[in-house]
Amino acid sequence: MLRTKTKRRLATTVATVITALLPMTAMAAKTTSYPADYQKIIDAGKKEGKVVVYGTTDTKAVDPLVKDFEALYPGIKVEYNDLNSTELYNRFISEVAAGAGTCDVTWSSAPDLSIKLVNDGHALAYKSPETASLPKWANWKNLAYATTYEPISFIYNKRLVAANEVPKTHADIQKVLSNPKFKGKMVSYDPERSGVGFMYIIQDMKHNKDFWTMANAMGGAGMKVYTSTGAMMEKISSGEALLGYNIIGSYAFMKSKKDPSIGFVYPSDYTTVMSRILFISKNGKHLNAAKLWTDYILSARGQQIISDKADLFSIRSDIKGETTMATLAKQLGKAAKPIPIGKETIEYLDQKKRLDFLNKWQGAMGTAKK
Amino acid sequence: MKNMSFSQKLVIALTVLAIFLPIGLLLYQSFLDAPFFQPEKSLGLDAYRFIFEDPDFKKAFLNSLYIALGMGIISVPLGTLLAFLMIRTDLPGRKWLEPVLLIPVFVSPMVLCFGYVVAVGPVGFFSIWVQQLIGSVPWNIYSMKSIVLIAGLTHVPHVYLYSSSALKSLGSDVEEAARVSGAGPVRVALTVSIPMVMPAILYSAMLVFFLGFQVFGLALVLGDPEGHLVLPTYLYKLTNKLGTPSYHLMAAVAMCIVTLTLPMVLMQRYLLRNAGKYITLKGKGARQATLPLGIWRWLAAAAVFIWLLITVFLPIIGVIFRSFVTHWGEGVTLAEAFTLGNYTSVFEQGNLIRGIVNTVLIGVVGGALAGICYTLMGLATHRKNNGWTRAFDYSVMIPRAVPGLLAGLAFLWVFLFFPPLAPLRQTLFSLWLAYSVVWLAYGMRLISSSLLQVGPELEECARVTGATPGQVDRHVTIPLIKYGLLASWLMIFMIFEREYSTGVYLLGPGTEVIGSLLVSLWGAGAIELVSSLSVINILLVSVGMGIALRYGVKLHD
Repeated sequence: MLRTKTKRRLATTVATVITALLPMTAMAAKTTSYPADYQKIIDAGKKEGKVVVYGTTDTKAVDPLVKDFEALYPGIKVEYNDLNSTELYNRFISEVAAGAGTCDVTWSSAPDLSIKLVNDGHALAYKSPETASLPKWANWKNLAYATTYEPISFIYNKRLVAANEVPKTHADIQKVLSNPKFKGKMVSYDPERSGVGFMYIIQDMKHNKDFWTMANAMGGAGMKVYTSTGAMMEKISSGEALLGYNIIGSYAFMKSKKDPSIGFVYPSDYTTVMSRILFISKNGKHLNAAKLWTDYILSARGQQIISDKADLFSIRSDIKGETTMATLAKQLGKAAKPIPIGKETIEYLDQKKRLDFLNKWQGAMGTAKK
Repeated sequence: MKNMSFSQKLVIALTVLAIFLPIGLLLYQSFLDAPFFQPEKSLGLDAYRFIFEDPDFKKAFLNSLYIALGMGIISVPLGTLLAFLMIRTDLPGRKWLEPVLLIPVFVSPMVLCFGYVVAVGPVGFFSIWVQQLIGSVPWNIYSMKSIVLIAGLTHVPHVYLYSSSALKSLGSDVEEAARVSGAGPVRVALTVSIPMVMPAILYSAMLVFFLGFQVFGLALVLGDPEGHLVLPTYLYKLTNKLGTPSYHLMAAVAMCIVTLTLPMVLMQRYLLRNAGKYITLKGKGARQATLPLGIWRWLAAAAVFIWLLITVFLPIIGVIFRSFVTHWGEGVTLAEAFTLGNYTSVFEQGNLIRGIVNTVLIGVVGGALAGICYTLMGLATHRKNNGWTRAFDYSVMIPRAVPGLLAGLAFLWVFLFFPPLAPLRQTLFSLWLAYSVVWLAYGMRLISSSLLQVGPELEECARVTGATPGQVDRHVTIPLIKYGLLASWLMIFMIFEREYSTGVYLLGPGTEVIGSLLVSLWGAGAIELVSSLSVINILLVSVGMGIALRYGVKLHD
């Protein structure tokens, strides 16, 4: 099949295909086989000329990916829009409803909002040839892909928190909270105002038997809740706060490289792992380019950059480095608990279920005001 | 509309369209139970029921009211006094003071508050110094009182702007009359100068009151640690509380704020029912002279300096300091943390550089265009006291009553669902239109306070000699308010440079502006970039102001 098809192509085109695919196949030990007519997608993608991505990842972190992708497929420009997950969702559904052009790919760190969009029928089914190299759960019905593997961690101020005070497990958190030194000095996301914060707390409720005891202790110790990861890390770095709970590990890792005050821990009893979800929009105008971007992000070449330059933690087991699934698996073993991708991801978008949880949470937090 | 020309009607119609398309969408949305563009939705009052039953709404509403009133009480007297000192007296250092004291107008409040945290927060460098000195830190910047105080002090320049532009064109004859009869400087200010500029003061009081309901960045940075909720942060909460954004609830909150504006506007109109009293630019020229302050001179200077120290220097030094370090806090020395990396990384990022360029464009060019539009609107309604202009006066206030983030979303909808505008959605025009409409009340007032001061006899003179209404505008009214217009351009430039929440939904590759970039950087964690970008922005605006003041634009004299 492959031969008969490629024979018909010009020699130069063959060369392009090989150079394009070589870096991907060479590094992927597993059978990542691109279909014979993949060149068609490449050609069509180049004709489209660009791919529009709505993402929640910092432009700075995405930049190396964009540059590498544009080098791999000259002629296809990446138009990256850096939005927060709520803005992304708002813009997406508004644009689709208006029949105006929307993005070709969304790449969000809020799995519930992404899966809701997919569930509502906004995604284009596409089986990436890279699927074989991913964990099974990372491909949801060929509609949505988990692209990263980021541990949710505790972070702390290295100057002001002694090594023996640093919590290593969720049980330790409870101990730390009874220490007056940490009273009012712990910070976390506000699940009422931060969608991702809500998501992580729900995971805690699933994995931690003593969750409500811990929540009550958090409330009792006057934990402060924020919406901005940056604001929280800034407070911990300056010493205004000492400990951060449920902070996205990739941001903590990135920050700790530049800021000697920031230390982080992946809890050893269980560590929630979040993934940035990518799906191709059915209403996109550059669907071939979108497929190329999807495959690129999942490819060994893209994932190597995700790990090395974007510090986002690769989801492929064949990528080596500090910020990869392989390394985390060594450190955490079975304690790594990825946020599931599927119908259960959107369980708590049910209004009543959500408000019930939040009421209970507020009750636990309210213990501080006694 | 009998005595209105076609072009005047056109101007009014376009303005009304620009205001009521987004507001109408929000109003409609507030009576639905799902996004208006979705097929399954039904009309009802559920949204209002939900928010009125939500204890958080009540809390947020009361806090907002408290902030709005507090801001008014602090900023109106101080701003008016400041304007009097700057414009009418021989206060030392007036020349260099003016650009400095306008800094809070063009620096995003989020950045300013962040500067406060670095300077006087629990572990801020100033707090640590005070702690070493007296053993404890006698303030808490996260308390409600501090929030109100900071909100009040940072809005002093807004009041200053209006009062000073009115005071500038007030002839000194009335003040001199008072002085000849034996009044001291305080008496002159309180009984003559300030009452003469009452329309400007009342208007700025009202605007500040509205801005009090808009306090978002400040509440986000300083209100979070102790959980003080205000209406805009409550809106933010509604975005996520139900998991998916609940537009109907957000729209209902916005409509509640809009409703509040009605009695305010009516009250203002009632107080100003006799605008003739305030005409200061008459057929007879009046010389302006500065009032000697005498012994009050240095006392006044000291007071202004203290205000500047708290409102401008402390937070700005905080931001500048933060932009030059990798990390900070208790036990960190400047030597170990010093870096220039925060600046070099700004210039490594294409979107940030585009943001800087676009911000200059939207401020300078966009500001000028908005100024022209506001002038046309001002002229279209000038000297016409009928139902249409009264409705118009009220309408221009409405957009500012809608929190910026939601106004931005409404504009995104307009550009999506209103076909004539659709092709312009991903251009800077979308941003410009949103900014111009949101700041309509602010800009219109700058123009109309100038217009209000032109004596009708000057225009009548021209009309009697046979000039058409257009000729009157071109040859009499506009030349007379030329300096007012130039100053307005500068003011609009500054406010456009700072605007942040309105642009969030209209942001895309090619339409980035610093204000909105700061919001997105703030969320994800690049606080050091927020600081360096803010410092760059402050420098940019300062340069712009310097050029404007150097060549022609006169803020006072």
